[in-house]
Amino acid sequence: MRPLRFLLPVLAAAALTGNAPAMETLRQYLPAAGPSPTPAAAAPAEPVVAPDAAPEPTAAPLKAPEANGQLPVVRVNVASQSFNFSQPWRKNTPTLRQGLGVVLMDGRILVTAQLVTDHTYVELEKPETALKAAAEVEVVDYDANLALLRAPAADFLQSIPGARLDESVSVGDRVEVIQIEPTGAPLRTPATITTIEVGPYPVDENAFLVYKLSFPLQQRENSFTVPAFKDGRLVGLVMRYDPRTQTGDLVPSPVINQFLQAAGTEPYAGFPRAGLTFADTRDPQLRAYARLPNGKGGAYITKVLPGSPAETAGVKVGDVLLQVDGRAIDQDGNYEDERFGKISLAHYISTALQPGKTIPIVVWRDGEETTLEGTLVPRDRSSMTSQPYLFDTAPDYVIVGGLVFSELSRQFLREWGPRWANEAPLKLVYLDRYQSELPDDRGRIVFVSSVLPVPGTLGYEDLSYEIVEEFNGQPVRSLEDIAKAADSPTDKFHRIKLAEDPGLVILDVEGSKQAEERIKAEYGIPAMRQLGNRN
Amino acid sequence: MPQLFRFCLLSSLALAAATAAPEPSASMVRISTTSQQPDYAVPWNPGSVVSGVGAGFVISGKRIMTNAHVVSNATFITVAKEGDPTPWEARVLHVAHDCDLALLEVYDETFFEGTKPLDFGGIPELESTVIAYGYPIGGDRLSVTRGIVSRIDFQPYSHSEVDSHLTIQIDAAINPGNSGGPVMQDGKVVGVAFQGYSGAVAQNVGYMIPTPVVRRFLKDVEDGAYDRYMDLAATYFPLLNPAQREALGLEDEDTGVLVGSIFDGGSSDGKLQSGDVILAVDGRKVFADGKIELDGERVEMAEIFERKFKGDTVELEILRDGAKDKTTLELDRPWPFEMQGRAYDRRPRFVLVGGLLFQPLNRDFLDAQRNDPQKKVDTRLRYFFDYYVTDHLYREHPEVVVLSDVLKDPVNTYVEPFKGSIVDKINGQDIRSLQDVAAAFSQPGEFHVIELLGEGRPVILDRATLAEAGERIKARYRVISEQNL
Repeated sequence: MRPLRFLLPVLAAAALTGNAPAMETLRQYLPAAGPSPTPAAAAPAEPVVAPDAAPEPTAAPLKAPEANGQLPVVRVNVASQSFNFSQPWRKNTPTLRQGLGVVLMDGRILVTAQLVTDHTYVELEKPETALKAAAEVEVVDYDANLALLRAPAADFLQSIPGARLDESVSVGDRVEVIQIEPTGAPLRTPATITTIEVGPYPVDENAFLVYKLSFPLQQRENSFTVPAFKDGRLVGLVMRYDPRTQTGDLVPSPVINQFLQAAGTEPYAGFPRAGLTFADTRDPQLRAYARLPNGKGGAYITKVLPGSPAETAGVKVGDVLLQVDGRAIDQDGNYEDERFGKISLAHYISTALQPGKTIPIVVWRDGEETTLEGTLVPRDRSSMTSQPYLFDTAPDYVIVGGLVFSELSRQFLREWGPRWANEAPLKLVYLDRYQSELPDDRGRIVFVSSVLPVPGTLGYEDLSYEIVEEFNGQPVRSLEDIAKAADSPTDKFHRIKLAEDPGLVILDVEGSKQAEERIKAEYGIPAMRQLGNRN
Repeated sequence: MPQLFRFCLLSSLALAAATAAPEPSASMVRISTTSQQPDYAVPWNPGSVVSGVGAGFVISGKRIMTNAHVVSNATFITVAKEGDPTPWEARVLHVAHDCDLALLEVYDETFFEGTKPLDFGGIPELESTVIAYGYPIGGDRLSVTRGIVSRIDFQPYSHSEVDSHLTIQIDAAINPGNSGGPVMQDGKVVGVAFQGYSGAVAQNVGYMIPTPVVRRFLKDVEDGAYDRYMDLAATYFPLLNPAQREALGLEDEDTGVLVGSIFDGGSSDGKLQSGDVILAVDGRKVFADGKIELDGERVEMAEIFERKFKGDTVELEILRDGAKDKTTLELDRPWPFEMQGRAYDRRPRFVLVGGLLFQPLNRDFLDAQRNDPQKKVDTRLRYFFDYYVTDHLYREHPEVVVLSDVLKDPVNTYVEPFKGSIVDKINGQDIRSLQDVAAAFSQPGEFHVIELLGEGRPVILDRATLAEAGERIKARYRVISEQNL
């Protein structure tokens, strides 16, 4: 097992790709600046796939006071400590990240989720006085890369005005990216919005609205995330910057707006998803095959995720999506947005609509239009075979007689560093990437993640990443299955059936029990099980 | 990489008679070859023509022994005797790519007049001196280098990349051009020089094929055809864990190996089961570490199979569900392994339709894809190659057919993004071999519908426009042939 390699917040950015499946995109973070860059534990290279779904800004503006000359920003210092997925009983070296948070009208502070990933302590610092106060992370959405903080002391932010969200910027507009000098004075960098499109977000295969900016960002501390304003209104938070091309990506105000609305419900509602992928219908031969008249537009449905709103609505692979909620869909899967013009349907579904809303969907099927109804709900990550990310929670594991069992997640694969897709065990990468092709009842994939040699593991030292099929005759679909089966052996042996060679591993039940104290003492492992963070 | 290596170890250390070594000039042959390397990227291309020089030596029966890699893909071979510049045309009589040996014959047998066939000896002792003869870089005449036997061990044979056999390491300089030359001790051939490391990796490390491997090859071809090495076509694992031994009902402390996977159509198919314990092979006890005792030496169990030939039987004593049983296997070479090895003397197989190139997945193809930055080898393709045998993917896909390239033309201009995908169905027909592709395209209908694994959108080709495109594409891209099945 290779040690965890952090992704340094080096100044490099994503070469964003359209909807080419399996295209690898290296995404990195903003400069942490200062003498030594601060490691940011989080998402390395990710495959970018066609957007699952889509958005629009309903822009219910937060009523903000007029700016009194002071910027609605506060320094946010975060100590964080990521979990080690190869040795799930321990955490990695703590790191510090510093960024800027935007003070909202209601006194909460908006930051990127990247800033608070795996946080152990979050602190607010007033730019001019350096007065500090501890803060709580109230809501975090790693898909949308946004988080809300709350300062426990109500009067801490009193002198700082709240920010309102921008609702008007368009391509070509000039905005200001704000950093804070060590003196507390603002450093304003003018930036131009060059493109507004749906693009990939840092974790998983998420695609939401992105504003692309062209600007020369200065190296300063507190730059892990920085806000951009126009006429005193928040345009977005910079989540990526490439110093080579001097371009950056913003989490824009429409996504922030949707996040704030979702954060207003209990529990956090999240962003609606359709659960489908589509391809363009520019190919006249495909159009002819689908008997799709020219001028009808339409996006060809290539995948419908099991249990998704699209599936519930009856959408099928091979349907051509013509209309969603009354919006005509063109041959690229775009619709005409009132504000942004042609933009991906993914934006409409994820950001314009509210979760729980039922919408009409018109598809072209067997040469005619069919109207379906779908109710959009957020994605249920917990039902996935391999979770796209796991932050802020200790990885689960079960140790039986020195064999460490783990569940497959992309977070585990990321232990192999930015090139994990090429360097992590191929079969696990394959199962993660193509998990939607697995049978619906596959459950989780449990495998032997490491062996802690004790006398009982003699001859098993070379086991590595073998997937477990059965434990004591019981099918294994989760770590709980292992725990349960290990608690009820049928005789004096644990029989572990592996999907791969050597096929069968046997442990002595009594010996495994006795080994526990030794493992605790000699390997410094506090517990034989960690199953507390099931979601 | 889940590939199977066959294992064999030295059986015995034969002592060579201590007589003076005669100069083998009268037996040495310099082999010049012209060969054509198959082009897996543009498979209808004849391939680039390259020439090479290797060594060989005369053995009994008017035959010349050399390495398989000296004469692989050869289109024209000449041989010349040491000290005589006359080239004589020769041809390959037998070639064994799995152990890198070949036998040549000369069209005009008068070539052999005045030559002296060499005899084979046994396995030289460690630290004993051997002499290598060949035509390495640095001159045209015979080169002689002296070295000692450094190691007798089991090594991969790089020619096929999937085979391993007994190998002898010597510290004589062995360079390209030495290949196929004899390594002698006491007047007898004790090995055939065949591989080494580039100077950047290691110096004074050369490898020769020892005589047990050579003798096996010679015996195998006695019936006029080479059948290759035999294999159990099953994986097995040491049984060193006490709990595992007890649970499986093994009484003593040092017998038995656990059977893991069994591959369809192989020698063990229907005879062994996953979870069986092999206790003995041909009456010889199998130790828990997978070794057996043979001629007083502890060697890998596979040595038994290595020494056998196609159709030979092997008797296994097994333990299944706690009960002892016996089973007799007839040895054969299982087919699923070949796809992961390198192929020689064969033209790449392909089908080209409407500029869409279909090729079967195999090692040579994958290397060609990897060497071309414009092509992609995605996770699915890597998985299908690496796990083809271990995950029994050959059951569903006797051949994994890949849409490997698109020769751009108006008819296929939207197909480009699907390059590198595995073909699942064409016109509703399952594609399980390259032949299926050719057959499926002959189905009637308005469109050709190509379904690719993992791609929700089919590739559609209009049949009418496709017909016109065929000739246009052939002419523009100089396609000599539209298929090689």
